[in-house]
Amino acid sequence: MITGGQSFVSAPPAFSADGRLLLVCTGRTVSVFSASTGMLVSELGGHEGDVTAVVVPPPPADAPAVAKVVSYCWTAGLDGVLICWDYVAAELVRKVQVGLPVHYMVIPNITRTSKGADVYARFAFVSVEDTSKPSKEGKALRGQMRIYDLTRGCQVGNLLAETRKPEKIVVSSSGEFLGITNKRKLHVWSVPVKDFKAENVRKIKLHHTKILNTLAFHPSERTVAGGDVTGRILIWRGFGNAKFSVSDGAKSKVDEDRDGVRGNSDADTCTTWHWHSGGVKFLKFSSDGAYLFSGGMEGVIVVWQLDTGKRRYKPRLGSPLLSFVDSPDSSISCVSCVNNQVHLLKMPNMEIMRSIAGIKLPISSPDLGGCYRDVYGFDYANRLVAVATEDYCIQFYDLFENSEISEVQVCERNFQPVDDITMYISLVSLSIDGNLMCTVDVKLPEEELGGLVTLKFWNQGSRAGKYFLSTVIYEPHSDAKISAIAFRPGKNMAATSSFGGNFKVWVQSTLSQPSDEKNQSGWRCQSVGSYKNKPLTAATFSTDGSVLAVAAESVITLWDPDNNALVGVIAEALSPITKLSFVGTSTFLMSLSQSSKPQVAVWNVPNLSMQWSYSLFAEAACCSSSRSEFAILALLSCPDGGTPAEQDGVILLFDAENPKPVSSWSVKKAKGGSIAFLKGDSSLVANTKDMIDGEASLLVYVNGSHEYVIFDPRNEELHIGKSARKNVQTEEPAPIGYASIYGELPKLESKKEVPEIPFTPSERPWETIFSGSSHVLPPLTKLCSAFLSSLLEKRPVANE
Amino acid sequence: MAADTSKPFFPAAPQAALVPSGRKPSRLSPESSYWRSFRTSELAPRNEFNVTHLAFSPARSTPTLAASWSTSVLLFSGDPLSPLPRISVSNDVAYCPSFRSDGALLAVGDKKGIVRVFRADKVSSGPLRTLTAHSAETRVVRYPVAGGDKVHLFTAGNDALLAYWDVPSETPVFTVPAAHRDYIRAGSPSPADNNIFATGSYDHSVKLWDARSGKTPSLSFTHGESVESVLFLPSGGLLATAGGNVIKIWDVIGGGRLVHSVESHVKTVMALALAKMTNTGETRLLSAGSDGYVKSFDYGQLKLTHSMRYPMELLSLACSPCGTVLVAGSSKGVIFMGRRKKKPADEDEEEGKGVGGEFDWAPPKPAKPPLTPANYRYFIRGQNAKPKEGDFVIAKPKKVKFAEHDKLLRKFRHKDALVSALAKKNPKNVVAVMEELVARRKLVRCIGNLGIEEIGLLLEFLQRNATLPRYARFLMGVANKVLEMLADDIRSDEKLRGCIKNLKRMIAEEVQIQRTLQGIQGMILPMLALASK
Repeated sequence: MITGGQSFVSAPPAFSADGRLLLVCTGRTVSVFSASTGMLVSELGGHEGDVTAVVVPPPPADAPAVAKVVSYCWTAGLDGVLICWDYVAAELVRKVQVGLPVHYMVIPNITRTSKGADVYARFAFVSVEDTSKPSKEGKALRGQMRIYDLTRGCQVGNLLAETRKPEKIVVSSSGEFLGITNKRKLHVWSVPVKDFKAENVRKIKLHHTKILNTLAFHPSERTVAGGDVTGRILIWRGFGNAKFSVSDGAKSKVDEDRDGVRGNSDADTCTTWHWHSGGVKFLKFSSDGAYLFSGGMEGVIVVWQLDTGKRRYKPRLGSPLLSFVDSPDSSISCVSCVNNQVHLLKMPNMEIMRSIAGIKLPISSPDLGGCYRDVYGFDYANRLVAVATEDYCIQFYDLFENSEISEVQVCERNFQPVDDITMYISLVSLSIDGNLMCTVDVKLPEEELGGLVTLKFWNQGSRAGKYFLSTVIYEPHSDAKISAIAFRPGKNMAATSSFGGNFKVWVQSTLSQPSDEKNQSGWRCQSVGSYKNKPLTAATFSTDGSVLAVAAESVITLWDPDNNALVGVIAEALSPITKLSFVGTSTFLMSLSQSSKPQVAVWNVPNLSMQWSYSLFAEAACCSSSRSEFAILALLSCPDGGTPAEQDGVILLFDAENPKPVSSWSVKKAKGGSIAFLKGDSSLVANTKDMIDGEASLLVYVNGSHEYVIFDPRNEELHIGKSARKNVQTEEPAPIGYASIYGELPKLESKKEVPEIPFTPSERPWETIFSGSSHVLPPLTKLCSAFLSSLLEKRPVANE
Repeated sequence: MAADTSKPFFPAAPQAALVPSGRKPSRLSPESSYWRSFRTSELAPRNEFNVTHLAFSPARSTPTLAASWSTSVLLFSGDPLSPLPRISVSNDVAYCPSFRSDGALLAVGDKKGIVRVFRADKVSSGPLRTLTAHSAETRVVRYPVAGGDKVHLFTAGNDALLAYWDVPSETPVFTVPAAHRDYIRAGSPSPADNNIFATGSYDHSVKLWDARSGKTPSLSFTHGESVESVLFLPSGGLLATAGGNVIKIWDVIGGGRLVHSVESHVKTVMALALAKMTNTGETRLLSAGSDGYVKSFDYGQLKLTHSMRYPMELLSLACSPCGTVLVAGSSKGVIFMGRRKKKPADEDEEEGKGVGGEFDWAPPKPAKPPLTPANYRYFIRGQNAKPKEGDFVIAKPKKVKFAEHDKLLRKFRHKDALVSALAKKNPKNVVAVMEELVARRKLVRCIGNLGIEEIGLLLEFLQRNATLPRYARFLMGVANKVLEMLADDIRSDEKLRGCIKNLKRMIAEEVQIQRTLQGIQGMILPMLALASK
């Protein structure tokens, strides 16, 4: 079983202590990427639930030499465990049980006094979800902040705070201050850095009128910045002077005029900056404290000069931003985007060095509503999935390698994250050998004006996932939408069916000119057919390509694609059919209905009769190309209403002749998911007994959030391991810090040992000429001639 | 007295702008500074004799000057010129000494009309030949210069006789009596051909003679004044004539066409000479007038370049072949000698071009001075350079030009963008802008915001393009929307009602066309059905 497609951006990533590795939370594992190449180095897998935080604790200040060797990180997961890893060796070091799902964790750099001396100790401040309280009540305080002593593995002190939901904890770089956002307030704790005791933690609140999203602490000053949902950034300077300062002299400040500070918040001044039109998602002070980075919905990193409030921008990141992390030496920073990409930025000029791209997430937009279904295309031969992305591209993702192959821009339009959707890709279809691709993109009309459906045919380029545009057809079925595209196996022919009541058969005209390198062939319409002017809702070709089946609402019509002649009509289904597929090489035809009266039916084509049917809501279905079996992805709960359960879907594998399912698997997040058969990896299954059919096919299930799993449907044993991991070459350690600027310092040997002076005459006299103490040596002018003559002696020897 | 009364009693001070400013031109032209570098001295003492003719020997070695001075010929030689023993030619006044082309012989005419030929290096030995044909003073005695002709000589005089001599035998080859109708005072051999020479006379005419054809002039034209001097320019194709205060340049190859006329002197121009500038190697035509001026004329660019003033009336002028000595003879017997100071820098230049002696055909173009940052062209130099063949040209990246509607769309001025596109009347652009507005969800609001005139534009556009098949589906929808939204505005305005009438007519036409097409389709369909069976 292969899993993949995890989100890289569910939690902020972390840089390793030397800044060369990037630790990214990917589902239940932590992936370690190289910051210089963007390649996966290793994976840390041991959590039972999703990993929610990864923290590389700063090296203890008193032991810098050790920090080079030690490469520990702590991770926290929803399974309620904190794990310490050696991320270079990918080994688990120790575990600390929390017991409740941990949502956020920070480990400030603090010490504890024990037995009179400063002893280095780790304390984790975790934000957990109290699952004992009922989730239905909105008022319940389910979020808790706790402190854990990681060296002892136990909780210390009481709860720091209780909130409605677990809040993100932010710590200042010195470890002195901790903060969370709680609705319209910032809670800031002052933590004693030395001699830590849980009782000594003091707390203040800073008030605002809008719900706050995020906060950041200044690295050196007592300044905190908060970002709210309306896009404002508030900067409180000198917070906690009254309460945190040890001396009581600060009391006098209360009477002074405090600029912009609301209520009884404990701060000197509060200034507001406003540029973002949407909510601020992250705030981060630069390590020298001169700049503040902010980002959010607009996909623009704004760099604020802290003293003047002047702005600089890093625009066109293409997607709303989630988090911003910089490396310990501040030369690299990484920003996570909503579209599952992590960009590594070279810091002073913010140039994108690398992008770590995961599979892009489905388009989540409420206004598309029911008319939009998630779009998948599967490349059977190359084992790729093509997903339509929000920025009008089709992303090709290698399912076995779990990596992005390419992106094909379908619509000529720049994507802006803040725009409402006016255009989307409604269908993607790949031929079974992956040579041809067909896409349909829809421009949404404004009050019935200017809507446009465009059909595009693409030819494959030099390698899998590279396509170039062959033909563009505007309004292929006048203004009616296209319901299905089917490629005819073995021939350059495609059929599109539309809700407007007709289907068209397209052929690639072979006008290949010998003079041109490129094949200038375009696609044209060969024939048009319709059945009683009913909307045609699905179309498919049989495996040998001789029959075209088109569903006219609830009736299935069979056509001869070459002569455009109606061959037969199969009796009605219960409701309009949304998907048709021939089952392998058999004589059966499978249909899905996805309306209020859902149905999965298998039809016997020669008899024009129904074989069997279930009343099941199937989200997706796929048919094996060689055998007479097919799989459906059925939703257990009705899509309209009803609470989504944890395991809301089931994959059923049927043999076409038999209504009893061969096998079944229950899955999560089936809504919006899809399944497909893929060509088996012959190298992997070569030594197994599954070679009887000649071709083993694997089943891939992609769930609603684009995570996927590949498994062999006939073998319950999970014997397909991950494909042999590409050996990651251990890269040359890149110089960092001082060495990156000035180069390596020569190793200074502390004491040069004076060697014994050899006076034995040797073959090479120049070695002995200058050896000896300076007071015994003759003057250099005399030695020179001897030295030169010794060199001269060497030449004839070399020439012979 | 009447003129005096017309004047104002107290003349007002002239306007400051009209008064010529006293300061001299700050910088001399290079030409002027060249001519100013001649240091003038007097060669012969003052007396009552006219120095009517001056001639330099064409021999290259040392400049040798012959000057007619009373009854004798003064000879000067060397650098600087130093007087040699003078030749007493005859009892009468001597005229027009002329050196042979190799500088070995010197021919001199006199008042009686007798022409004597001396050895230039041994003048004291008396005349070698004596040519007698003229009956009056011979003011023109010339050896030919071209072709190394050493045996012939032509003479002309006040008796209007022209004689062409075979000198060794002392007999004329031919004589032309009454060659002119008045005194012949000027003559010049052609530098291109030894047979051709020109004469000018007081009868205002200039005649070109060819010794081969003999007695009749091959060309004749009128100068317009009594001709005092004629001179072939170095190419042999141009002839300069001086008469009155006018110098005229004629194209003799082109049949005596007047090329240019210079009226630079105030009194009669008495002599012409060619001078070679040693610094640039160019040749100038010098003219000396009885007003005491010597003027330098650049016949290449046909402009006067410099003028020099002498204190006396000048009668003759000559310039040494190497160009370093300029002599002018006055009516008071004084010979002014201008000698150019030799600079060490000039030496090698003179080696290169100055010593060439013979005058060039066409003046070489002066070398351009190197550009300095004082010059504007210095800063734009090389900007118009054209690439040579084989050069790799790196093209400047083309600046993307945005149309006005694109700029407005960038600024989110949607209505202005639509109006700007409509005003440009390119249906492609208008439809593209409308589609973009649809994508921004702003088209309906834009249409709602249009003013009366802009509605007119839109309706006109719709009328013209709504039925084009390419845009029809989109524009018909727009047209419906416009009518629906702006019905009140349209009803209230006379012009818009006209637009709507047009739109209606256009729709009716389109409906008619569609009907016709459907009729044709109905006729064809049964035929197709039959054919397919």
